[in-house]
Amino acid sequence: MIEFQQVSRSYGEKLAVDNLNLAINAGELYALLGHNGAGKTTAIKMLVGLIRPGAGSVRVGGYDLVSQTRQATSLIGYVPDEPYLYDKLSGREILNFVGRMYGMDNEQVERAAEREIGRFELAEFVDELTETYSHGMKQRTVFAAALLHAPRVLVVDEPMIGLDPHSMRLVKDLMRNEVAAGMCIFMSTHTLQAAEEIATRVGIMSHGHLLFDGTIDTLRERFPAGQQSLEAMYLALTETKGKNAKAEAV
Amino acid sequence: MSAGSADDYLAPAIAVSGSGAMRAVNWPATLASLPSEDREAQLLWRLRYRTARTQLARLFVDARLRTILVSSLSVFFWIGLFLLFYEGFTFIVDNVGVPGAPYHAQTVQFVFHLFFASLNIMLIFSSGIILYSGLYNSPDATLMLTMPIRPERIVLFKFQEAVFYSSWGFFLLASPIMIAYGIVAGAPWFYYLLLAPLIVSFVYIPCSIGAICCLFVIHRLPKLRRIVVAGALLLLVCAVTPLVWRTVNSPQSRLFGTEWFQDTLYRFRFTQQEWLPSTWLTNGLLEAARQGTTTAADEATDLPIVQSILYLALLVSNALFFHVLTIWAAKRWFRASYASFACRVRRNRVIRRSLADRVMSALLVGFPLPLQLLLIKDWRLLRRDPVQWSQFLIFFGLLGLYFLNVDRFNNPHNDIGYLTWINMVSFLNLAVVGLILSTFTTRFIYPMISLEGHCFWILGLLPIDRDTILWSKFWFASLGSWIPCSLLVLLSDVMLRVPMMVVVVHQLTCVLLCLGLASIAVGFGAMLPNFRETSPSKIAAGFGGTLNLVLSALYIMVVVVLTALPCHFYLLAGKGPWGASFVDPQYLRLWLILGTVAAIIVGAIATVVPLRRGLRAFRVLEFA
Repeated sequence: MIEFQQVSRSYGEKLAVDNLNLAINAGELYALLGHNGAGKTTAIKMLVGLIRPGAGSVRVGGYDLVSQTRQATSLIGYVPDEPYLYDKLSGREILNFVGRMYGMDNEQVERAAEREIGRFELAEFVDELTETYSHGMKQRTVFAAALLHAPRVLVVDEPMIGLDPHSMRLVKDLMRNEVAAGMCIFMSTHTLQAAEEIATRVGIMSHGHLLFDGTIDTLRERFPAGQQSLEAMYLALTETKGKNAKAEAV
Repeated sequence: MSAGSADDYLAPAIAVSGSGAMRAVNWPATLASLPSEDREAQLLWRLRYRTARTQLARLFVDARLRTILVSSLSVFFWIGLFLLFYEGFTFIVDNVGVPGAPYHAQTVQFVFHLFFASLNIMLIFSSGIILYSGLYNSPDATLMLTMPIRPERIVLFKFQEAVFYSSWGFFLLASPIMIAYGIVAGAPWFYYLLLAPLIVSFVYIPCSIGAICCLFVIHRLPKLRRIVVAGALLLLVCAVTPLVWRTVNSPQSRLFGTEWFQDTLYRFRFTQQEWLPSTWLTNGLLEAARQGTTTAADEATDLPIVQSILYLALLVSNALFFHVLTIWAAKRWFRASYASFACRVRRNRVIRRSLADRVMSALLVGFPLPLQLLLIKDWRLLRRDPVQWSQFLIFFGLLGLYFLNVDRFNNPHNDIGYLTWINMVSFLNLAVVGLILSTFTTRFIYPMISLEGHCFWILGLLPIDRDTILWSKFWFASLGSWIPCSLLVLLSDVMLRVPMMVVVVHQLTCVLLCLGLASIAVGFGAMLPNFRETSPSKIAAGFGGTLNLVLSALYIMVVVVLTALPCHFYLLAGKGPWGASFVDPQYLRLWLILGTVAAIIVGAIATVVPLRRGLRAFRVLEFA
């Protein structure tokens, strides 16, 4: 469903993503982990069509993000790390706008909006202007908007930031259910516990390189017992391989 | 792991069933099901309509004072402009020639050509800059790019905003001129009917050129550093300034003579080039205003209405051409340029202690250390934020240019009219400096306390009392504004060659204005803080900011009138026919002293009261 083929992207001299090869199928929740500046957000921005690969190609549902942008983005729902909503519109008006932009008719939008309002518990504030929302309320509304058109791929950048424990649970359950229903989720996160809990596969990036790609069980096989928490494995991997990657990049 | 082919995912419909019965959506996510171009445009217009409707409703509910103030000032400004131009055109009719006379036509053409040609250039720049920030620096453009919306539609959506924001000032300026001219020239009904379409179609052309330039520049030169752009602009200014100077400069002795008039027309002939849209607009307007007398021998195409419509057709067809070109450029360049722009190299600035900081530290040596540190912090924040000082620089720079040219109409004769004019202009200049300063204290000083709310985890825990923080803002604002303001006022006085006594009065008034305006802004900022908002412009636009602006303007008017009037009468006493009878010369010195003392008292009240109230409020303020 998602394919990165030999993708590289640099910011001037700095290589943000270096020769990334990755394929993620429907029904998978892929958690991309990495330090700040590892290249996660660049990878996500290429995946949603905001920036273009310097080399290689990114495809969603077989569509190239550069040459077939509209086809590809119509399959995607995107939840950015900093939720942006039109502050002079209500949550319901935003859901309506997004749904119609994805080609849904009025009736479909209304049904889908009610579904998401119920699922994300937005009923209490969905008819108020979004300028009055807290960060968590905004994040939940963005999730609702991203899922409104039943995308095949959900791209989520740091989904747990700013959420209260109840909302976190809500989001984690939601992602699990969607993946079970066949959705493909690509998530970037620093919350290792959440990744450990819900991801079917993880990728660990450092200095633009994908250091590891596989299940958490596969990763555990590489480490001795006692060092098999995701946190310990992540730190061990990024500290050793990360140094090598940095040296290579230099 | 195979990602599968595109057809596997899109044919013919996607049925996603998620968490039980709640997910029963079944809608076709094929490309054909996405909105058509027209539908996309409708949806974006609806978005704009809803946003604007809510914004307007909120304006009348949450910011009634500001809305009333802005509307009233705009109406006042419009009427003022209309009267000014009405008088100007009447002067031309009375002194140069009636409509139809050769000198009348030449003069009006000259004014229109020059006015619209200048706006032509300004519209190109303003629409390009507004579009740049709308497309490349706004979160909603980013959001739209992640949705299956056509890039050209996003550009058009933002372009419409750019056209609106860059041209509203043009409408505010052009409409009173056009209407005043129509009335003075006795224009027929279709002149007024054609005004709006002529102006709208004209505005669209430079705005489209600005948009295309913006897309092209970002597309081709994403790595261009701002310093390079600023350097190029500076070079351009340096190259153009001598040309402009030569164009506007002429010997004083020939001012307003026939030779001067012809020479001026000749020097500005470049504004009358046939290929300029401003020329088409001018010709369209003048043709529509022409008093056409039809005879049987006339061709139908010679009729004023036909000629004017032909120019309108020329403008509309060109506007449409540039519209198509904008769409073409957007389709071709926008996504790619956005990506390149997002990935541009950002150089991290290495901050070292600069000469400016050292100078500031030396200047503040007499202040207590905590106050010094706070002042230097605010100075650094100001210095490193070009948005703040560049506006200050532009406005004060323009004022400086105006002051440098204020002696253009200098009259060697020592008549009463000239003396009145000199004195009035010098005090008006002082008031203008004060009014501009008040907009800056409202925009930049008033929000400072609200913005400190976000950093109060630092300031609130420091071992200093809260008064020091507020005092630092006051000194920062008053000292920072006093130096440029007093220099500007001095420049104006020197250029106008006003007597030394007036210079002293002006400098004293300037000090009073700086202290009072700083105190009002700091005091109200502490009394009416807004910790929810992070944007200083939005804080300034709220109720407290508007109140601050209104009170500042009132304060300026009171202080300037108190010092200006006695000074005015004192200077004119005995020099005019009414001088002695109007105010007894023997009391004039007393009036002057009383006026100055009254201004000092008002200044002291305006400085002490808001600051004291602000200090009191700030001591018990909770940074929730």
